[in-house]
Order: sequence, then C-alpha cells, then structure tokens
Amino acid sequence: MQMAEMIGAAPVRDKLRALGIVALNGMFDENDAESVLRTAADELLTGELAVVSSFGADSVVLLHLVSQVNKDLPVYFLETGKHFDETLDYVETLKERLGLTQVEALRPSNADLARFDPNGDLWESDPDSCCHIRKTEPLNEALKQYGGWVTGRKRFQTSERGVLPHFELTSDDRIKINPLAYWGEEEIAAYKAKYDLPEHPLFSEGYKSIGCAPCTSAVAEGEDPRSGRWRGLNKAECGIHFDFNGRIANPVAAKHLTLFRDGKFIDDPFKEFEEGTDPASARYVHVPLPEFLAHRDAYLASPHPLGLLVSPGDKVEDAAADLKRFASIAIKFPAFTDGRGYSSARLVVERYGYTKEVRAVGDVLADQIPLMRRCGINALVVTHDATRKALEEGALAEVALFYQPVGATEVPAGTRPFLRRAAANQ
Amino acid sequence: MYRYDEFDTQFVKGRVAQFRDQVNRRLTGELNEDQFRPLRLMNGLYLQLHAYMLRVAVPYGTLSSRQLHKLAHIARTYDRGYGHFTTRQNIQFNWPRLKDVPEILDELASVEMHAIQTSGNCIRNVTTDQFAGAAADEIIDPRPVGEIIRQWSSIHPEFTYLPRKFKIALTGAPNDRAAVKFHDIGLMAQQNEQGEIGWKVLVGGGLGRTPMIAKTVRDFVTHEDLLAYLESILRVYNRYGRRDNKYKARVKILVHEEGIETIREQVEAEFAEIQGGVLTLPQEELDRITAYFAPLEFKPSNATFDLPKLKAENPGLSRFVMLNAHEHRQPGYTSITISLKPIGGVPGDATADQMDAVAELAKAYSFDELRVTHEQNLVLPHVAIEDVPAVYAELQRIGLAEANAGQITDIIACPGLDFCALANARSIPIAQEISKRFGTPEKQSEIGELKIKISGCINACGHHHVGHIGILGVEKKGTELYQITVGGDATEDAAVGNILGRGFIAEEVPDAIQRLVDKYLGERANDNETFIQVVKRLGQEPFKEALYANG
Repeated sequence: MQMAEMIGAAPVRDKLRALGIVALNGMFDENDAESVLRTAADELLTGELAVVSSFGADSVVLLHLVSQVNKDLPVYFLETGKHFDETLDYVETLKERLGLTQVEALRPSNADLARFDPNGDLWESDPDSCCHIRKTEPLNEALKQYGGWVTGRKRFQTSERGVLPHFELTSDDRIKINPLAYWGEEEIAAYKAKYDLPEHPLFSEGYKSIGCAPCTSAVAEGEDPRSGRWRGLNKAECGIHFDFNGRIANPVAAKHLTLFRDGKFIDDPFKEFEEGTDPASARYVHVPLPEFLAHRDAYLASPHPLGLLVSPGDKVEDAAADLKRFASIAIKFPAFTDGRGYSSARLVVERYGYTKEVRAVGDVLADQIPLMRRCGINALVVTHDATRKALEEGALAEVALFYQPVGATEVPAGTRPFLRRAAANQ
Repeated sequence: MYRYDEFDTQFVKGRVAQFRDQVNRRLTGELNEDQFRPLRLMNGLYLQLHAYMLRVAVPYGTLSSRQLHKLAHIARTYDRGYGHFTTRQNIQFNWPRLKDVPEILDELASVEMHAIQTSGNCIRNVTTDQFAGAAADEIIDPRPVGEIIRQWSSIHPEFTYLPRKFKIALTGAPNDRAAVKFHDIGLMAQQNEQGEIGWKVLVGGGLGRTPMIAKTVRDFVTHEDLLAYLESILRVYNRYGRRDNKYKARVKILVHEEGIETIREQVEAEFAEIQGGVLTLPQEELDRITAYFAPLEFKPSNATFDLPKLKAENPGLSRFVMLNAHEHRQPGYTSITISLKPIGGVPGDATADQMDAVAELAKAYSFDELRVTHEQNLVLPHVAIEDVPAVYAELQRIGLAEANAGQITDIIACPGLDFCALANARSIPIAQEISKRFGTPEKQSEIGELKIKISGCINACGHHHVGHIGILGVEKKGTELYQITVGGDATEDAAVGNILGRGFIAEEVPDAIQRLVDKYLGERANDNETFIQVVKRLGQEPFKEALYANG
C-alpha cells in the first residue's frame, strides 16, 4: 500500500494524526534513514518540511541525505553569534559541496540581545537563558510556517535520547523527523567514508559534538559524544528539543509560563480545548467531562495524551472508571467563590485514587491555594500577578496546622492524634 | 470548660498571622475590596453603614471571666466602650479600625478566642443551649460534641466556599433552647432503644426571607459517625446547593426544592462511602474533650428558694428569681440569666464596665464560667442558691438586674438601620419603645411569657419569624413600615409566625402590640395560659381582628 493512499490528501497533518504516529514508526527499517526522510519530504509533509542543522560534528550525514532527497529543502542553521569560526566556514563548505540551495541562518532578535545579554556574557551566568534567546526563540519563530522538521538526533548520543523514534508528534502540533535515530557511530563513520564527506575542522581535535564556542569542549575517549557540551553544568540540551515531560530550560520566558507544579512554573503542554474538536484527533487538551461522556468510546480509543476538565456541576462519578486514562485532570474554579471544585478534587484523588496531575484552573488566588492543595490539587494554572509572586517566593499566607483529615496524602493512619496535625512540607 | 492546648494556640496564632498579611495586602492595595471581602468575611470582619464591624466567636456560647475581661478591654481600647451580643451567641464590635483588627485578633488569641468563620460562606460558629451542662432536663452535655464540631469545621478546606453560610446548632436537652430547627443543621441528643446516646439530625431549617423548619434526615447517628455524617451533608450541599441566586443558596432551599427524600438518599449514599473512614470519632478523643467539661466540684447543699419569704422581704429579688433563675441539675444551685434588655435599652449591648463586673461575678459565684444566649442575654450557669442575693445586688449596681427573662421586654432585635447596611428599617428604637410601654413589673407579671422578636429587614437576623409576636421592618415608598406576625415558636414545637396584615409606621407599633396583648389577656383561659398557647388554641384570626379593629 502506498503511503499517499494511507494518509490521503490535505490537510496533511490531520490525516497524519488520524493515521497515528505509532503506525508510522513501525514502517521503516531502523537504519533506513533515506526512506524516512524521503517519505516525510515527498508524501507526509510536502512543502511543509524544514531541516534544522547545527553544522556540527555529525551534521554532514543528515545534510548529505537531504541533498539526495531534495536539494531545495529549507535548511536552518542557528547562527547564535557564538559559533567557532571553523563552524561558519564549514557551513559554506557544505553548502557548496552538497549543492543545498536553501540554507538560511536564524539569528537572535536584537531586542532580546539588548535586553537579556547586552554584554554578550549571558552564557556564563545563565546558559539556559542564553540558549533560549539564541536558539529556541528564533527557531520557534521560523518553524511556525512548517508542519514538521528534521533533526539529526541519534539515540546513542545521550541516555535521554535513547528512546528516540523516527517520528515524534510534539505538543505544539508538529512532527519531528529523526531519520538517524537508530544510527550508531560506526554507521556514521561508514557513511562519511562511503561518500567521502568533509569533516568538521574541529572533529579531529576531539570535538564530537559541536555547538557554540563558549559552551563546547573536547571529549575524551569513552565519554558520551555530547558530554563536551555545557561541561560542568547540569545541562545536556539547549532547549529546542524539549517537550512534554522534558525538562524545560527557558527561565527568560518564565513570565509566560502559567503552570505551577513541583515548586516552579513550567511549560504547559496542554492547550485550550476547542468546541467541535474531533475526538480522534484531540491531544494535549483537557476534554470537558460532558464532551468526554458523549464521545467516550472515541476518546478511549485515541492513543493521544489527553486531560479531563471537571467543571462545577460535573459529576466526576460519571467518569470514575476512566480517570486513569487521562494524563491530567483539570478542576475548574470559574470564580474563586465557587467551592464545588474542592469536592470534585477530593473525590478524584481520595475516592477514585487518581495519582497523576490534578490542576486547578480558572480563578486561582493565593488565599485559596492552601485549601486546593489540601484537597489533592498538585498543579495550578495561575495568571494573577500577586499570586504568581507569592507562589514563586513560597510566601502564601496560610495556617500550617490542620484540624481535619482531608486528602489521600494527609492521613498517615495511626501516626497522629485524631484530626489534628501540622501541614506537610509543600 | 475547654482550654486550648499548644496545637489550638498555634492554630489561632497562625490564623491571626494569615489575616494580618491579608489586611496588609488590602492596606497596600495589593488586594482590592472585591478580593478582600471574602477573606475578611472569613474572619468575621464586615463593612457596615458607618464602619467595619468585627464579630467574635463565642463557641457554643461559653466564656470564662478572663475572656469577658478581655472583651471589655477590647471594647474600651479599640471601640466605643461597649459590645453587642448577638443571636448567634457571638459578640460584635461596631467601630474597630481596619488597621487595628490584627491587634484585636492578637488580643483575642491571648485568651483563646478568635473571629474565625463568624461570617462568610462557610461553617459558622456552632451554637447550643445556654444552660448546657447545667440544665436539669439534659440528656447529655452538648459542649464536648460542640467543641469537636468547632475543630472539624475550622478552616475545612472543602467547605470554605460553600454556596452560602452554614449554621449548626445542637441541643442536649429535649426542651430546645437553641432553636436547632431553624438552623442549616440541627442536632438533638437522643437515646436509642439500646440505651445509647446519639443525635437526631435535622437539615434545612432557617429564617431569612424564606423561613423553613428543618426536616429530619436521620433519626439517630452515633457520636462515632457524627463527623462523617456532617461531612456527607456538607458535601451534598457544596456540590448541589444553588449558586445562581444568593437568596436561594441556603441548604433549606435545596431541601425544599429537591425534597427531603432526595437529600436523604444523596446524604446516605455519601455517608455509605465515608462511614468508618478517617472521620470516625474515636471514643478516646470524645473522652479527651469531654474531660474538659467534667462536672464541677459543687458544694453539697439542699438550699432552695423560699419564694413566699423572699417576696415579703425583697419583692425585686423574688421577681428576679422567679423569672431569671433556671433549674439546675445540681441541688442547691441555679443558673442565672443576666438580662441585657434593661427597660428602654438597646437589646444585647453591654458596656465595658458591665462586662468587667459580670466577669467578676462569674469568678466569684459561677466557677469562672459564663454563657451567651441566642436571646442576647448572658448567663451565670452555676450559682449557689445562697449566693443569689449577692449576685442580684451587684447586678442592681451595674444596671443589669432586670427581671424579665422570657418576658415581653426580653426582646430580640437586630442592629437594624442604625448600623446595618442591609436594613430597611430601624429595629432598636422599636424595641426600646415597646420595652418602655410594657416595662413595669406589674404589666410584665400580668402578661407572663411573651417573646417579641424584631428584624429590620427580611434577612431576619432578629428572628421575627419565630417570635410569639414578630415585627418585620420593611421600606415602602421611602417610609419605614412594620409588619406584625403572631404564632412563631423557636423551640422543639417549632412554628413560623404568620403576617397579620398591612404594616404600621413606627409610632403606631406600641399601640398595635398593646391591642394584641389586650386580646390575649381577654381570651386566656387562666393566668397560666401563655400568649403562644392562646394563639395556638385560637389561631391568628382573633388577633388579626383585634389588630385592625379600629382601622
């Protein structure tokens, strides 16, 4: 069967979702990078695909593959302004050698540089933020026009990348294609040799993974190839590859983050649910409980990450048996004076034993948060400025002693006098 | 009485610190009034016509002399030298400044008092019989369970933003002096067939613009299950109570609209889920709290009142004993009601000096204990009969010796238009005029028990629905008018009074009451038949005729 038949005509991405990314990932031999790339470029995301390359140590393999498939594919290079001169030379070398026609450098915005890195030394004090303004932001902007992008990531590079598939569906609704996911160092070396591809000038000096000059060092024999990146820091990724469940490394953008969990504001993979969304294609949304009940079978059949939205007046009992299917449950507080959500939260957590994320959404204010937490809510979507500040500073005004047992985690049976105890450390 | 342990002390201190932070955020403008309102209300702070009003909880109406001294001190230091005792056994200060409120709360905390949940849409201060632990007719002292309910309901995270306020009252005696049938939940002590003591649970009572008598949801709940049962009711109410209209948000409306059977079904279903869980009250905990209310060391005494002798020697004292002394379970003792209804005075008000003097009386003559009644009086619960003359003399000195408990001048009145932002009409001046009209001992003696209750608007804080005679202030075309009801009853024979007809202007009210009283005196079968008994026997018609006879 032809891929085109399976996924049909435009809108391509909807069909892709309907097909399910899971199926795609079973379709290619692990090392058949060229077929993966060709299918993506010619059938899945025609005209909607870009390549992102660091023009680093191994980049030449992917770029060569691109040249085999389509020399006119857009190739983005993150020109952070901090690269080795050798890297910039290498970009020109490869363009010429491979005949790539659409290589484009993405530069950080002058406004961001002026505001966050006026002296050019942000990499030293706050490398996460440096990566964010020099890589993540420009790339996000450029990728807006594409349905998917190709990366050169490989499983063997770091332990975190050890589960990388050929096709990833990201929470911002794009497809990431990783043709080289299963390649090892041997395959790469053999491929380079076969086509006599030019090495990065620094490769022979021990640089196995090459990023910006200040944050890249050579690696010793036997080290992870990427261990020379941000050496000495608890940092292994620049941020462009983070997604749901990944660590998020963009404190510069913290002002935009509204999801507070585990003591900090983090990136929220979930989006607003839109009326009329096809149950089969919904993902990373909190499905309103009545909507879920109306299309229960369709939602249960969907392989995508979903949340459940419980509004005041909804009976969580009606979905009790299905709660475990959801990655997150949102309890809605349309006004802070509407206390029905407290009961819903307790039922979800205490009666139905739900242990994943239970988030409060809506009118979430500082003085209600201690009560919400006691009722089992473990994440908060907060937009009120003073409340955000209080949360970040850990300065919620609350009474740290409780008279009544509430919440599944609050009752260590037999460990305290009846009803009364101090607050657990939040 | 109950004494705070370290935990309670820290809890209240924590709450004061929290509120201090909230006040500061209001004063700096971080919180706007809309955001501050529910927070201050949760701590008893209202914004009234002229100023903030702070309502301080007197849990189940019990005070020590030290606490009353502190209330006097607060009245003197932060207010205008007096306080106002309310129908919910609380005390209100009418003139505190916002910036002083955290200080006041600190002062209160130093004597184990607080303002937690005296307003707002949460579980309010629990109330009970003012003679609890003293009354001769008691099945059980309700205060230990009252204290347990106080603790369970304090900053309950699930029930702090209910559809509307929620009031729980309990009585340990079959003669209900706590108006439990007019509360969101009423608890009446019961003995079951096995001889166990537990609670009959009523739900959905209330006054306000839609008066309702509570309905029985369960005949018997053990102490052990009580908190789980209360939590079940609260959860049903929190989830299903109406939130679209604040005037239909009380649980009485839910019970009325859904029917008690449906509510019972929902409550029982919830209870089936949580019965036997963490809210199960261990006997040891009940015993621990009960120990605080252990019987006092009464002196053995066979003293009784010799009324004929008293009447000859001291007619004033004899009247006082007849009306203001309540039968005590302990021979030789009595409970003394201190009327805060001096003739022509403001019902429920006490000056700082009076509070200090009453506190001293409690220390000297009543085991250091005091009660606040829902009829806005104070009680010395445990007075040796031989000490009554001394107590009376001191009360005379401070102007609180009025012998009128339960009489026509023992009027409940809300603050009305003189203070309250909600009121349509004045209440206090009406109470004062009626009090003056019928104030002589002779008139009161002739009339006997007659409870008049006055509210300045349909929110019914003055309990007019359950007055034997109820007076409701309304506003019609810019004029304050007073509607009159008869037949209300707050006791175990609960009844809501009926409006007799068109309203009267303020000046006409004393005459109108006079006509009702005259009718009663003319109709009663004998001197012992009370006003309410006559109304129940004859119905309202004769009274309606009397009221409007002359146009």
